[in-house]
Amino acid sequence: MSIIDDILSKTDMDEIRKETEENYRQYVNPFALRMFKNASLDIIEGKREGASVWDISGQKYIDCVTGAGIFNVGRHNKEIVEGLKKALDTYDMGGWISIVRERGILAKKLAEITPGDLKYSLFCCGGGEAIEVAVKLARGHTDKTEIICMENGYHGVTGFALPATGRDVYKQPFAPLTPGYRHVRYNDIGAVEEAITEETAAVLLEPIQGEGGIIPADDAYLRQLRELCTKNEILLVFDEVQTGFGRTGKMFCAEHSGVNPDIMVLAKSLSGGLYPLSCAVFTEEIAEFLMTHPFIIINSFGGTSLACLVALATIEYIENNDLPGHATRMGGRFMAGLSALKGKYPKLVLDVRGRGLMLGMEFPEDSIGPRMAYQLKQNGVISIYTFNNPRIIRIMPTLVITEQEVDFVLEAFDRSLAEISKQEEKNAAR
Amino acid sequence: MATGDEIWEALADFTEQCNNNKRLRKMQRDWTKILHFKAIDMDDSFTMKVVEGEIVKNDKGTVGTPDIIVETDSETMCDMFWGDINPTQKYLRGEIKVKGTQEDVMRIDVITAVIWPEV
Amino acid sequence: MAAQLTKGQRDEIKKQALDDFSRYVNPQKARVLKNAGLDIIEGKREGAAVWDITGKKYIDCITSAGSFNVGRRNPEIIDALKKALDEYDLGVFLLCSKPKADLAKRLAEITPGDLQYVMYGSGGGEANDFAIKLARGYTMKNDVISTLKAYHGHTGFSLAAIGRDEYRKPFGSMVPGYKHVPYNNLAAMEEAVTEDTAAIIIELVQGEGGIHLATDDYVKGLRKLCDDHEVLLIFDEIQTGFGRTGKMFCCDYSGVVPDILTIAKSLGGALYPISATVYREELGDFVMTHAFTHLSTFGGSDIGCMVGLAVIDFIVKNKLPEHAAKMGERFQKGFDELLTRYPELLMEVRRKGLMMGLQYTNDSIGPRMSYQLAQNGVMAIYTGNEPSVMRLMPSLVIQEDEVDFVVDALDKSMSEIMKQGGIEKY
Repeated sequence: MSIIDDILSKTDMDEIRKETEENYRQYVNPFALRMFKNASLDIIEGKREGASVWDISGQKYIDCVTGAGIFNVGRHNKEIVEGLKKALDTYDMGGWISIVRERGILAKKLAEITPGDLKYSLFCCGGGEAIEVAVKLARGHTDKTEIICMENGYHGVTGFALPATGRDVYKQPFAPLTPGYRHVRYNDIGAVEEAITEETAAVLLEPIQGEGGIIPADDAYLRQLRELCTKNEILLVFDEVQTGFGRTGKMFCAEHSGVNPDIMVLAKSLSGGLYPLSCAVFTEEIAEFLMTHPFIIINSFGGTSLACLVALATIEYIENNDLPGHATRMGGRFMAGLSALKGKYPKLVLDVRGRGLMLGMEFPEDSIGPRMAYQLKQNGVISIYTFNNPRIIRIMPTLVITEQEVDFVLEAFDRSLAEISKQEEKNAAR
Repeated sequence: MATGDEIWEALADFTEQCNNNKRLRKMQRDWTKILHFKAIDMDDSFTMKVVEGEIVKNDKGTVGTPDIIVETDSETMCDMFWGDINPTQKYLRGEIKVKGTQEDVMRIDVITAVIWPEV
Repeated sequence: MAAQLTKGQRDEIKKQALDDFSRYVNPQKARVLKNAGLDIIEGKREGAAVWDITGKKYIDCITSAGSFNVGRRNPEIIDALKKALDEYDLGVFLLCSKPKADLAKRLAEITPGDLQYVMYGSGGGEANDFAIKLARGYTMKNDVISTLKAYHGHTGFSLAAIGRDEYRKPFGSMVPGYKHVPYNNLAAMEEAVTEDTAAIIIELVQGEGGIHLATDDYVKGLRKLCDDHEVLLIFDEIQTGFGRTGKMFCCDYSGVVPDILTIAKSLGGALYPISATVYREELGDFVMTHAFTHLSTFGGSDIGCMVGLAVIDFIVKNKLPEHAAKMGERFQKGFDELLTRYPELLMEVRRKGLMMGLQYTNDSIGPRMSYQLAQNGVMAIYTGNEPSVMRLMPSLVIQEDEVDFVVDALDKSMSEIMKQGGIEKY
């Protein structure tokens, strides 16, 4: 039974939903399912195409979550799907010990498109895993242990990434964690200066904080950071997991400021929304640590032949269709609309911000984020609040979104804000 | 509209249910919070003190610095303590207002999910 | 792959690939592999075999440490993946989906005892990281006990559990609270358990540690120890799972059910990264009160789950565990002969199903055997934490004649090394 089959009857749909929910309740996470239902996010994804996703019941939504930036090339991108299928006629994962040819080709491509003298790539599966590699390379290369990271940053949940994540709820139940991480205020160069010691190995940050609430770093701040790091022989690590591959209107967000990091971490849209892949890209100097320790970081699933071929097809698609340029244009259209909404709902909308198609709308209190998500869903848009800051709703659609779709989302925002205004007035009257 | 006494009674009922639920007590043992409940259609407020998952004290009025503030009308508040409504659904529809972290909001939902799984 | 290529073209591709790899991935890795005769650029892949781009065929006894149980480029799994690609993409990790739910149910069915809920990841280390986090979170205790020479992955919580310092040393401070005790030594474990012990994590056959087999008594003793002290028992079946040892899971031998089971590798059918942490219902209460504190963008993707379902179907339908047991015995006959013929080289063989380790008489023989075996058409390497042990983990679809081919290659290689000499202990 196909989930995208148009002739599927309503009874079949209901059957699939019932069975899926029951299995989820019994074998995955009963509470998560309850949360989804409460929030009206109990969508079971059926057809996926371009900027949209259809619930198996046939209801269409514009996806503004995109797994926090996995689907830059669009949901279920036909060209890349075909590329992967073709690859399946020849390849499989490839052995981890082998010299995977496709890995070399992708690494070369990444060296070309990443800024500055970033050159070598070490591949893994997920973003967090690549952050782990970055932290370890920094420690291994410098023989120092301290990592300066940012309040409200998000870098993942595994052992070396979790302590870098700047929020206690992710960490406290699992303590004690890997020591040596210091958190400072974002966009505050003085705070970094103060936190530097002789033991500092690296400064790790997102050029736009995603889960922290779509907060862009100032260009000047990044330039000062670069200078500070160079002066103190500290490595600068950019986590471009969410901002990479055209999301912010440039291939990489670092290009806006012109600041070149020593290590750049990539994941999410690297592999077209079809296959797990992440990597840390670093300079030749840092690679020397891996010369003396060639097998110290191993993994069986990182940079498989198939993953690398998908990534190459993805990058080609992004380049051929100038997705960064498109993201800039659509981002501009969004900003104009969102700013107008800010004017129209001054009590509800405190701020709209972002770069390219990494956008956020800020509300005066936490509860409005979840409520907006609920309203938007009723109006055909899937979006959620940022994890570290629920008063910001995230707008991160695919980069193939069209003008009409942008307008549709803006209209959904308008209606949702109108409904919440009404609720607030009603409450105030009580 | 419910009376202050009715809310107080419902709160006592809720407290008993929570404290007698062994599974819930174990699940919530890392949760120590002060909650304020405000009935917005009357001037009554209530304070609940939770220590390591146990509701150790309820007060009339607001006592201490709250971690979480729940605001709704007196009727909804009674329904919430009696398990007649799903509070998260009301929250997302703007009928119950909660000030606090999203994690604590979810914890409150966990409590109701454990003691009233069918709601 | 591209059968029409001339030898010259193939050589050119190989040269270019080695060059790219050295220039943009890792030059020293390329060099080490070249020296070991393992600078293979994989071309055709099928069943138990892989062909270098230049056309030379090898029986793959590395299989990324047990990632290819269903064989390389298994047509049924490829079809399932292609079919999945007709409809699915990764999906959104936050939402509920049919493939996620279906695979979770299937895993609950095939895993032993009352293992019930699933948290997905994309790699084995990630699965172990979550297992340890879950144990700490659920018990509200800190300490984790693992075993010497153990391997559990390179992410932080797992790396701290590895029983070998070399993997950790350059990276400075680790997650605190870990103890490492000798394997198969219940008394040592008893002594290490304290009031603050959250979990014991263990492989039932140490893979990287040199193919050491936990005895049934030891495993049963661990279960009792954990029950007595409210400690959670974690089995890392990343290498031993999915039929590798002759049972679906290695713990099926002792009948001991862990509180948390981690699986990865072969769940992805040699095609797609996916891993899972399967845990008992009771532990689900922690996940409930801490919803969304552990997330994985790529873990349990819709496509990955479809692949996982096809893998399990294939293993069950083709009775791969039984086949693994049978082929393992055929190997054993060959090993027994080699043991009598080359006592100066081969000291001992340790084996469970098709998880096999050859204990050589000293460290240098492992790398030298790798080189010789490559010349004789077999890919095999020594274990990460124990260079004197060669690991043989062919795909479980290996056929009798292929088993004989590997044994023959071992014979030829050992004979060559005897001729070369230099095997005395140093």
